[in-house]
Amino acid sequence: MMFAINPFAELTAFLPPIAMQIYIILMIFAVFVGTLADMIHKSSGQYFAQRRRKSETAAIRELSSADKVSMAIRTLAIEVATAGEFCNVQRRISHVLMFYGFIIYLVTTVIMVFGYPTQDTPAPTFIPLLWNVGVIMTLIGGYWFFFFLRVNVAHDGQPVFRLVLADLFIVTLLGSVTFAFAWEIVQMTGNLTATKITFGLYILFTTLLFGSVRWSKLAHMFFKPVVAFQRRVEEANGVSSLPEPATRNDRS
Amino acid sequence: MPTFVYMTNCDGCGECVDICPSDIMHIDPTHRRAYNSEPNFCWECYSCVKACPQQAIDARGYSDFAPLGHSVRALREEEKSTISWKLRFRDGREKNFVSPIRTTPWGSIKSASDYEVPGQEAMQSQELAHEPGGLHIDELPALTPDQLKPGVV
Repeated sequence: MMFAINPFAELTAFLPPIAMQIYIILMIFAVFVGTLADMIHKSSGQYFAQRRRKSETAAIRELSSADKVSMAIRTLAIEVATAGEFCNVQRRISHVLMFYGFIIYLVTTVIMVFGYPTQDTPAPTFIPLLWNVGVIMTLIGGYWFFFFLRVNVAHDGQPVFRLVLADLFIVTLLGSVTFAFAWEIVQMTGNLTATKITFGLYILFTTLLFGSVRWSKLAHMFFKPVVAFQRRVEEANGVSSLPEPATRNDRS
Repeated sequence: MPTFVYMTNCDGCGECVDICPSDIMHIDPTHRRAYNSEPNFCWECYSCVKACPQQAIDARGYSDFAPLGHSVRALREEEKSTISWKLRFRDGREKNFVSPIRTTPWGSIKSASDYEVPGQEAMQSQELAHEPGGLHIDELPALTPDQLKPGVV
């Protein structure tokens, strides 16, 4: 069945399995180093620690551990799992598609590369199928965002193809996933030269995606939940500079 | 009293870019978040503060009512038709205000494009758009030519 074949096992025609395994370890290392460099450059760890200390000192209400656990669960369920921070429904759907698509794509890639590296170790059908589902979800959410939802294009009137630094993440993500899909399809046709070209482009964009964490916004995956949690804590302990919700309703 | 954006609260929705009458709210090319590109040209109309659904826009208050080190934050609640303001001074004191935004339900006012295009006759009338119906009266009082000072007509 099409799309049920492990594309990484087919790679053994021109690449030893160990090469992809080393590549993935290098990419994990690149994300780790990039995130660390980003944290040092922006002093974000220091900023969060300072903000937390300030919030604890100025707290009007003391929060119990149960309160904090409940806030952490709500942050995970609302801000992380369902992208609740977005007020625009279309952006929220697009982000959820990209978020889950990308995670499925990443996890299944790692499973196939490390668990089922050759044709002698065939992967269960659902794993390559899931990989394709992840790819398609990321592509739908990503291209929808790129062409119609980017705020500088949709609201600030900039041309779609005028790329800025903020586009580094989305462009490399779309490049990586698009060429992964193209490589898989071309590989099925059996054309070795075209397979090598599309695979090369897939590796190029994937390297750019994970190698540019210091400058792109991939690291927001780690920062955003921390900010969202801290905001909830500050609203609950009375430190937030935002007004309390109004209790008076003139219309009722 | 120009406005500024808290980047960590902004989700880059573009509402402030759309509403700013001075066209100075723009999108930052590095972080794709809103920022006030020309504080000197800010009309201080607070449209962006009120339009921001994330309450990410703050205002620098004039020093006569809010000395340096203060914060002025707004919370818009459409369902209650209220906007609440919290001023926190640097000595820790706080002032809170709640104001009604409007007396009709949110979204109930039609935009200009929802109305029929006026005809040539209406274009030559002295009445403004939606007059007199929009004022809930049958006719606008108007002076007749004989009531005007000689020489005016």
